Amino acid sequence: MISEEKVLELLKGVIDPEIGLDIVSLGLVYNIEIKEDSIDVTMTLTTPGCPMHATITEWVKNILWQEEPDKSINVNLVWAPRWTPELMTDEAKKELGF
Amino acid sequence: MQSNSIVTAYAPPFKIVAKYFIAAIIDFVILNFLLMLNYKDITGFYFQPKILAITHLLTLGWISMTIFGAMFQLVPVVLETKLFSEKLADIQFWVFLLGVIGLVTGFWNFDTGLHLNASAILLNIAVLIFAINMIGTFIHVKKWNVTGWYLIAALIYLIITAIAGFLLSYNLWHPYITINHLQYLKLHAEVAVIGWVTMVVMGVAYKLIPMFTLSHGYSMKSSKWAFWLINIGLVGINTFFHFKNNVIEILVSTLFIAAGIAFFLFQVYLIYKNRLRKKRDIGIKYSVFSFYMLGIVTLFGLIFSFTDLSGISNIYLIFGYLVFYGYLSMLIVGQMYKIVPFLAWYHKYSSKVGLEPVPMLKDMFNEKYALISYYLMTTAIITTTASFIFNSQIALLFSFGLMFLGSLIFTFNIVTILRK
Repeated sequence: MISEEKVLELLKGVIDPEIGLDIVSLGLVYNIEIKEDSIDVTMTLTTPGCPMHATITEWVKNILWQEEPDKSINVNLVWAPRWTPELMTDEAKKELGF
Repeated sequence: MQSNSIVTAYAPPFKIVAKYFIAAIIDFVILNFLLMLNYKDITGFYFQPKILAITHLLTLGWISMTIFGAMFQLVPVVLETKLFSEKLADIQFWVFLLGVIGLVTGFWNFDTGLHLNASAILLNIAVLIFAINMIGTFIHVKKWNVTGWYLIAALIYLIITAIAGFLLSYNLWHPYITINHLQYLKLHAEVAVIGWVTMVVMGVAYKLIPMFTLSHGYSMKSSKWAFWLINIGLVGINTFFHFKNNVIEILVSTLFIAAGIAFFLFQVYLIYKNRLRKKRDIGIKYSVFSFYMLGIVTLFGLIFSFTDLSGISNIYLIFGYLVFYGYLSMLIVGQMYKIVPFLAWYHKYSSKVGLEPVPMLKDMFNEKYALISYYLMTTAIITTTASFIFNSQIALLFSFGLMFLGSLIFTFNIVTILRK
């Protein structure tokens, strides 16, 4: 079965094209649950009300489906706890000049 | 992610926006080339055929063309509704383009009869088509926000600008204005720059700056103050310019507008201060320069309306140049460096994310070249102003040359992005 590390590695391929950073480094991925027939990703976005929800979740699904075509991929978008810049990795903070 | 939000399911096809942007950029290059070629004629009072022609090439072909394209993209996204008609946006493009070419050649040859007037009518038709398209879009909006109010106001001022423009061109054919042609020209210009262009700039800035800089947690109170102060000032301008003895009234209106712009700049400062992205990329560099310029020209305009500066040579040209190049052109170039790569990227690669490797936005163009064009353009703005002040034609030619070169590099970068 696919490991959580592998899922995280794959999700690093989902990149905010503007910021140039991936959703994992930005600290947007809160939880990953790998089950027999599904992968559940709990994540947030930097701002509530972002009209791009559908596209981003689509990207996440695309990337995981590629690897695990037999599992159903569920993306659970949450707003609590709210994203803060502190959730970013050190590299990401540096990249943003934080 | 917030920064992705200039594209949504509501956005119109890329080709509509791209058409407007490409036309605008070609216009910008031609404009800079014409300035370089005719540098000897760019001097003295502003009411001269070539200066009027170039001013309209700039305000219509470059600035308004960009705004139309940007609004077709942003209005549906920001107000969460579909554009009323893509077909109308396409028809408007051709009518407007024809109108711009007609008006500019009309001014250039000072053919103020049918040629100029027919062109002015074409431009009015284009504006009418735009208005229908916008109103058709606005009526479906469910959730209004600050940006929406600014855009509605801008649309009203665009219509006033266009009608006033036609009435002025008709007056050159069959004089009928009893007060003073130049007084009405001032009305036309002020409503155009402050009412139409700056209202759009402000409304859109409240959305785009936080998006581009990842800014959170600031108050938006100043944006509301700015809105009311500027609109009160503009209503004043639109009223009192119809009278002969209007000095005090116009001064008061101008004060309102200047105060409104100050509130806007304060709002931008608040957003900028709260940004998470500390690194300033090329788009932000241009924009910061532009907002400083907006502050300077506002101060300049205030001093201008309180004191007589006509002793300084080329004073009107300096003021106009700083408004149109220092403030507006630099903002447009900066915002295009942000928006075009994103739209092009989204258009080509969005559906491929996760399926194959896709480039990053910063790989879409050469940032080094962009930086060179930034230094060329900003230097050109300073040296052009100095050339006007010291009345040096050679320095003016050199400065226009710098701007032309800068615009070529900018165009090269945009072409690279579109071909990526």
